[in-house]
Amino acid sequence: MTSPAFAAPMPSSVRKPARLKSLVTTYRVPLSIIALCLLPWLLPSKALAVNVLVYGVVAVGYNLLFGYTGLLSFGHAAFVGAGAYITGIAIGQFGVPWYAAVLLGVFGGGLLAFAIGALSTRTRGIYFSMVTLALAQLVYYVALQASSWTGGENGLRGFTVNKINLLGYDVNFLDPVNKYYVLMTFAALALWIVSRILNSPFGAAIEAIRENERRASTCGYNVERTKLLSFTLSGTICALGGTMSALHLAFVPLDSLHYHASGMIVMMTLLGGASSFFGPFVGALVFLVMEDVFSLWTSHWQIIVGSIFVLFVLFLPKGIWGTFLARVMR
Amino acid sequence: MTDSIRNITRTNISRRRALAGLGAGASLVAMPWIARAADDTIRIGFPTPLTGPFAAEAKDQVKSAELAVKQFNDKGGINGRKIELLVRDDKLNGGEAATRTLELIEKDKVHAVVGSLSSAVQLAVNEVTRARGVIYVSISQSDTINEVKDFSKYTFHEALNPHMTAGAVARHSFKKGAKVAHLAADYAYGHEMLRGFKRAQAEIGAETVGEILHPFGAADYSTFMPRLRSMRPDFLCISNFGRDQANSIKQAVDFGLKQQAKIVVPVILHNQRLAVGPEVFEGVVGGANYYWGLESQLPSAKVFNDAYRAANGGAIPTDYGAYGYTGLSSLLMAMQVAGGTDTDKVIAALEALKYDVAKGPQSYRKCDHQSVQSVLVLESQKKADMKSDADLFKVVANEPASEKVLRGCTELGFPA
Repeated sequence: MTSPAFAAPMPSSVRKPARLKSLVTTYRVPLSIIALCLLPWLLPSKALAVNVLVYGVVAVGYNLLFGYTGLLSFGHAAFVGAGAYITGIAIGQFGVPWYAAVLLGVFGGGLLAFAIGALSTRTRGIYFSMVTLALAQLVYYVALQASSWTGGENGLRGFTVNKINLLGYDVNFLDPVNKYYVLMTFAALALWIVSRILNSPFGAAIEAIRENERRASTCGYNVERTKLLSFTLSGTICALGGTMSALHLAFVPLDSLHYHASGMIVMMTLLGGASSFFGPFVGALVFLVMEDVFSLWTSHWQIIVGSIFVLFVLFLPKGIWGTFLARVMR
Repeated sequence: MTDSIRNITRTNISRRRALAGLGAGASLVAMPWIARAADDTIRIGFPTPLTGPFAAEAKDQVKSAELAVKQFNDKGGINGRKIELLVRDDKLNGGEAATRTLELIEKDKVHAVVGSLSSAVQLAVNEVTRARGVIYVSISQSDTINEVKDFSKYTFHEALNPHMTAGAVARHSFKKGAKVAHLAADYAYGHEMLRGFKRAQAEIGAETVGEILHPFGAADYSTFMPRLRSMRPDFLCISNFGRDQANSIKQAVDFGLKQQAKIVVPVILHNQRLAVGPEVFEGVVGGANYYWGLESQLPSAKVFNDAYRAANGGAIPTDYGAYGYTGLSSLLMAMQVAGGTDTDKVIAALEALKYDVAKGPQSYRKCDHQSVQSVLVLESQKKADMKSDADLFKVVANEPASEKVLRGCTELGFPA
């Protein structure tokens, strides 16, 4: 544990029988799924709950790279947006069935992540962040210019999925509850995959790289390739989040590719806690609920949300979930 | 954290207590939304960008919309049903607007949606309302929303569109053989205005000597101004919106472009003129959907202004603000005719409606649901000529409502 900002999720005190904590860690995926099942009934609206799912998946995917591999990317909006645009275009302009469009979106976003990762993981530190930012802005401008495909500044539209066929049953996809639980399945899958990745030897390898890149390479890990793989997996999960958002809103705003969106992902991750598996999801939840609730109260909601951020950064550097795990679960 | 503290915290919070606490917290969070009584109020959603660069215009929209709602409620509502306006901040973002509209429809069960203040945002709202069969009255400029691809039988476009606005301004300022240089914001609004101007120029015979696109929300225009000067135009046409308009005109004046060319804008904004002052805007010509000064010519404008003044401590309504009033009034009038909120009946009533609530006669064209209405061309006054602080513009022309200034239905892709 050399770097306190990226402290590992595993408890350092294995000697102590921290039962609850170890239970939570062992069953983190089932517990997360139970939480997700309850979510739409606890939040002000179902539409907001789906947004939490989308950004939760995106933030968890992002954290694979940021929290676990230790690479600060400022370009993940590109993968979210690519997933959304590819899905939208596939449904709207090629009449591809929705599930195939999701696969295409995920695959396409992953491919883009591979390409951008191959270029950016050659650099380190601030240069890495700058290269991801620049390449993501490139994607933004491509989407802006290719308006016959993407709708340009007006955003991509005309691909509303009204109903879907699940195992022979027609499901009304406009119904918010149906939509939530269908998309929740994808989110649960993504959480499980990320959890598997983190528990695998590969998960240990990326953490080794985060802690000390030179030592990892001395131990025989191919650092370059591991970073690239981590980048690609992270981008692929984010692309899944993008496809979910496309299905949810039936609209892809050009803003979804903007670096503001990338910054928001980083912010959510930090807010929830980059040091834990579920932290980024909590960050997305808190971020979106705060925006939603405070902007109903007052048009000066930005002041409140901004102040809360400052307080969190000052007093909870491990993020909400990270602090919760550290204080309560031990 | 030391071991002793860790032990204390661990013994203090049992799993049972943690669960009880979680449950209590959850129900606390859920409470306001569970208690939503069924009632017969007519609810109208109003997403608009209360934060961001168009906030000033958005706030005026809300005030005017509230006025329309108040007037109907004071008259006893619609069929005895009260009207409630649910204002939401769409943050000038299509995704946010779509989410807010979903919330309004799914959670608040609104009967109709009015609002938005950007081309992209209204198209997002349009997409959501179209799929769910909810009536939407759009109150910001767009050409795209008229086209058949985005047409929704539930959507009515109350605002002017770039084609008719730019066309009117061009007809009343350009002459045959005039040289026009364009500076346009690089997004849908700028592109559509630019297209509208160029089309009108082609009819008039005015020549384009150059065009520059600037990024949306730019603060610095100094690099564009020497290039625009070197084009030696008779007219400088600046197609952008909100703060961009004030910033770009100010810098054009600083660079002496006004001595060389007449500055023309598609929509001259009341709030932006107030933000910079009369010296800078002096002589700038632009279009508008509404100007309070119409009250000397139009009785309906006088009635609207007086009601607005009474409700807002003597303040006058602005151009984009008036959209909130005309848009909401037309919808509520149609609901009155339909006797309630039955979607098909309200659509039929809106299509047949002839209304004059602020700016002369208006009606919705059948094919694309575009509001056929008058277009004003205004010129910003010299400070010496202003009779009061609010006497900002001189009405150069008031093009009467006519379908002729719109693109034809077949051109938009509708069957003839």
